[in-house]
Amino acid sequence: MKIVVCIKQVPATNDAKIDPETKRIVRKGIKAILNPFDTYAVEEGVQLRDKFGGEVIALSMGPPKAEESLREAVSVGVDRAILLSDRAFGGSDTWATSYALAKAIEKIGDVDLVICGKQAIDGDTAQVGPGIAAHLDWLQATYVMAVKEISSSSIRVKRMHEDGYDICEMSFPTVITVVKDINTPRVPSLKGRLASKKCEIPVWKPNDIGADTSKIGLDGSPTRVIKTQPPPPRHTSTKKIEGSSIECAQSLLRELRLRSIV
Amino acid sequence: MIYHIQNKIYHVEFLPPKQDSEKLEKDLEIFSNKYLRVMDSGYCACITDNAMGLLSFQGTEMIEELDLPVIPEQVMIHLNTFHTKDDLDNILDICKSKGIRHLLIITGDGSERLPKLQPSDVGATDVESVTSVELLKYINREYPDTFVLGVAFNPYEPEEHEFEKMERKMKAGATFIITQPLIERNEVVDRLLKKYPEIPVIVDAWMSRKLHLLSEAVGYEIPENTEFDPISTLKILHKLYPEYGIYLSLLGFKTQYDLIKDIWV
Repeated sequence: MKIVVCIKQVPATNDAKIDPETKRIVRKGIKAILNPFDTYAVEEGVQLRDKFGGEVIALSMGPPKAEESLREAVSVGVDRAILLSDRAFGGSDTWATSYALAKAIEKIGDVDLVICGKQAIDGDTAQVGPGIAAHLDWLQATYVMAVKEISSSSIRVKRMHEDGYDICEMSFPTVITVVKDINTPRVPSLKGRLASKKCEIPVWKPNDIGADTSKIGLDGSPTRVIKTQPPPPRHTSTKKIEGSSIECAQSLLRELRLRSIV
Repeated sequence: MIYHIQNKIYHVEFLPPKQDSEKLEKDLEIFSNKYLRVMDSGYCACITDNAMGLLSFQGTEMIEELDLPVIPEQVMIHLNTFHTKDDLDNILDICKSKGIRHLLIITGDGSERLPKLQPSDVGATDVESVTSVELLKYINREYPDTFVLGVAFNPYEPEEHEFEKMERKMKAGATFIITQPLIERNEVVDRLLKKYPEIPVIVDAWMSRKLHLLSEAVGYEIPENTEFDPISTLKILHKLYPEYGIYLSLLGFKTQYDLIKDIWV
């Protein structure tokens, strides 16, 4: 089985600043990390490869620095990694990004399964996974919380939604986006980390993947960000519980129950 | 562990490099140098396990990858409950194959990225979460007569609760105790020594000049500019606790290491 895991490098902050002109996140000077939801996608790819054989490839689009996240994926077991990086890709929205990733997946060839995290923590759109499926005209299942069964021609997954669960069976090739219930991502081993530093990561440009340049970057992006503003601040308050330890524990339990936390 | 105390073997703690280290090769070299220095001194290298919940490499993989020598009486691995079952078994198997016998079993500090052992992983049916007690039982059951297992004692926690926990740890098979850092005589530790006279106890000596970093452990604010002389304090602890071992945390390898060799004689 050939698996491609699409990953994204995102700013490691909960306090993102927005450029007032471009309306995009200011990434300069902010530490970048592998999108946390993508760590579950990587882990699932590695687990499926270990169980069913084949190859798992990490794919990302971004600036040269995004190579770091690909190396992180290699450090936890993916076989190889590919970076799409070029100025022409800059400014791509989710539609243009998923187009470019789909073209890269076509170039990789003979891919059975594409796995994405359910969404990236910077944009929170959850559109790229489904976008890839749309561009490739493949089946897709979003919010997958378990892979139940895999045969030579199909995959059966459990996906979660607001009212419960679906069990979906799809023939290959297919795209799934995964939620964090699906597995526990492993922590890189020292051996893996050292190997990841040595591995070569090819950088593909639009020509390498046969991309139509009118469909990538700002020109290929139908989305226009008109205005971006931070969400209203959350109103929090602190309540001091006083009394004996037993009284405090009882009060705390009552408060937690009132908030349906326990 | 009695051997360590009788032979005046210091326990020297140091941390493996962090997972997100941007100068990994350099950090590996530093770790290797510290480890070999401790081996040469005849002391015991105590390697932490994701201390303070910060993702770091495991002591076992450091020893394996860097091909560091293991002298059984001179290596102690910390092991906490923030692992997958596979990782736990892997660590224990490496310890066994490498001849690492001394393990300090602690509940540990978690983080978002660290998995947590589940009760079913260690065959515990009567608890909701895994603590050092369940981990001790698991290791003793699955690896009988393989390891010398120690536990931590925190004199700054509510006293009776800490002693109850210690009793459970002892019943689960702990055979030595390491305290939280001390800087003076501690009555709660004195009570511990009286309660478990047969158990080897290692007293943790705080070796950083930055005493305020101990604030969280002791539960009260120590002003940042508090003057503290770790070497003098170490000498005092030897006098106060002459029959017990000493664990050196945050020891400065550049400035302090050469000063300690003539203290415990």
